[in-house]
Amino acid sequence: MSADRSIFITGATGLLGRDVLARLLATDSRLRAFVLVRDMGRWLQTARELANQSRVIPVCGDLRADGLGLTPDARAAIRHDVSAIVHLAADTTFSSSLDRARAVNTLGTQRVLELAHDRATPARVAYVSTAFVAGRRTGVIGEDLHTASAGWVNAYEQSKYEAERLVMEQAASWIILRSSTVVCDDVSGHVTQMNAVHRALNLYRHGLVAMMPGVVGSNVDAVTTSFVADGIARLALRDDAAGKVVHLCAGEGALPLVELLDITYERWAANPAWRKRGIVRPVITDLATYSLFERTIADVGDASLKRIAGALSHFVPQLALPKRFDTTNAEALLGRGAPPVRDFWIPMLDHMLTAQSAPSPFAKVA
Amino acid sequence: MTAATHGPAGISGITYVLPAQRRSLQELAALGQLESDPALLEQFGFSHVYVAEEETPYALALSAATALLHEYAVTPDSIDMVLYCGTPSVAFAPAGSAVDAASSISSTQRFQYPATRLQYDLDLECASTLALDQLACTSLFSAVRIARALVETGDARRVLCVSSEFFPGCAGREAIYNCTSDAACAVLVDHNAERNRILASTHATKGYYWQGDAMRNEIVASYFPTAKHVIAETLKRAGWRPDDVTWVIPHNISIRSWEILLGLTGIPRERLWCRNVARMGHTLAGDNFINLRDAVCDGSVHPGDRLLLFSYGYGAHWTALALEA
Repeated sequence: MSADRSIFITGATGLLGRDVLARLLATDSRLRAFVLVRDMGRWLQTARELANQSRVIPVCGDLRADGLGLTPDARAAIRHDVSAIVHLAADTTFSSSLDRARAVNTLGTQRVLELAHDRATPARVAYVSTAFVAGRRTGVIGEDLHTASAGWVNAYEQSKYEAERLVMEQAASWIILRSSTVVCDDVSGHVTQMNAVHRALNLYRHGLVAMMPGVVGSNVDAVTTSFVADGIARLALRDDAAGKVVHLCAGEGALPLVELLDITYERWAANPAWRKRGIVRPVITDLATYSLFERTIADVGDASLKRIAGALSHFVPQLALPKRFDTTNAEALLGRGAPPVRDFWIPMLDHMLTAQSAPSPFAKVA
Repeated sequence: MTAATHGPAGISGITYVLPAQRRSLQELAALGQLESDPALLEQFGFSHVYVAEEETPYALALSAATALLHEYAVTPDSIDMVLYCGTPSVAFAPAGSAVDAASSISSTQRFQYPATRLQYDLDLECASTLALDQLACTSLFSAVRIARALVETGDARRVLCVSSEFFPGCAGREAIYNCTSDAACAVLVDHNAERNRILASTHATKGYYWQGDAMRNEIVASYFPTAKHVIAETLKRAGWRPDDVTWVIPHNISIRSWEILLGLTGIPRERLWCRNVARMGHTLAGDNFINLRDAVCDGSVHPGDRLLLFSYGYGAHWTALALEA
């Protein structure tokens, strides 16, 4: 790494981005980071917990604004100093419309790419994507550019796919880091931030999930924040990773859906009060039957049941599209794979059970 | 969950009686007896229901049982037991009203039982009586299950199961998007029956869901996985695969709901005998057995066919029977 290298990073106020930034600063004592900040109040909260703050320069802006909403001075400073961009910011709401998802994920990435080219030697771009740009494809998913022909389960997946294409087509030097679904901080199972997976599990625990789409061979691929942040921090600026797509996924360590439902059930059933309720495991069924059930809930369900079904519909169909993410590049570059899902799933469930902030199953869901 | 898997008991006769009055969905809606839009209920397969206006539940029960004895040439003294399903206190209330019955509970009138009256009215001199309650739409299944056990253990050779259920005339006719008819049904369980041999039965009760109105969403969510489990268990006990089932003889709830359940169980959709859903909707009295009779009468069911009967009773019971026609 060159002396006094500067990077521009987006998404650093988020859980993953904050971890990545901290790791990058800790790894290279001469690294400076311009951080795109949409909400200065939120950034100040993040910065309080951040070591090496003196090497961080917050710049106000927004992925949705022309020129990222940067002031001329900020843009000039970035143009002068920055040689690499780590782009993590995204709208990860599964239920977003395509227009809304594109506004942040696709058009926002286009603006980041324009910034990368706003200097004599274009900045390198490390783009943090999702493994689920694979959309409705099934089978082994390679660490390469996919075709769009299979379609997607939600607008988030599509907008991230479109952003990947822009990066590959326009960036002079790039790496694409595709993360699987993050479900806990590390293998201790601690959960700092609940997401759609936890909300779905919470519904299951409350006996509100009748069925899940799935087929024989359906796996659940999930990872920890720690693994993904480490992977991004170690690979984003590495020269030998340029031009590569890397799956930060469990890969072979994914857990079969049936086993996941079983061990989840057994964990909760360890509580006699829960077991007494006689809640049964959701049925794993084909997409057609699941869709008919969804349609029926839409026709006859009350508001909370409709909200639950609606929230699940934006991601659970992936379970009926069995895939295994190839992690050859990741393992070669990082020297190790992700921790198997089995290693942190039960600790994560235990954390959910003890967390005082466990959301109500009827809380508003993304 | 309880189960029985072997034995010679079978269903040798089924008769049923419906009230004279029939109403369309539109008529029910005009009377304020539906919660949902009739168009939605039509999508689910419903069209008409039968409503007792003049008949009492007992009168329907007596008619169904009398018809059974006559049609199948059953001598009254061959009946060893009467199993009666229905709420005793309202059995004699006229015109589907529970008002008179409510006042009778505080007097010795409460001990006037339809089962014993049926024994008397039908001259069933050798029959003892037993009544079942609190099983909702699975009552007749449970009666058949008990009758089977009595027959197979030698405690009885022939058991008459009678079920009669109704809603008061002014009550709503929709329960969780299902339209309901008043009806009575009589089922004869015999040892060494030539038809409808009972190969397996399964019954699951989940007490957690006893408070139905307060747990509606949980019940909707638990209905399908528990139903799938009970059906799978019944098929397993009968030694059948899903594709072995010739006919699914359903309870007459929403056809959409059945399509989902068949999707979950792997039983082909075309095996569902659902011709009565539009004609009469759901009955608490035992529409599976009403359907079985009609399926035999219309030539759908042939000797040797493998029949799966499944029903759910609010409160909360899941039950299934495997029969060899």
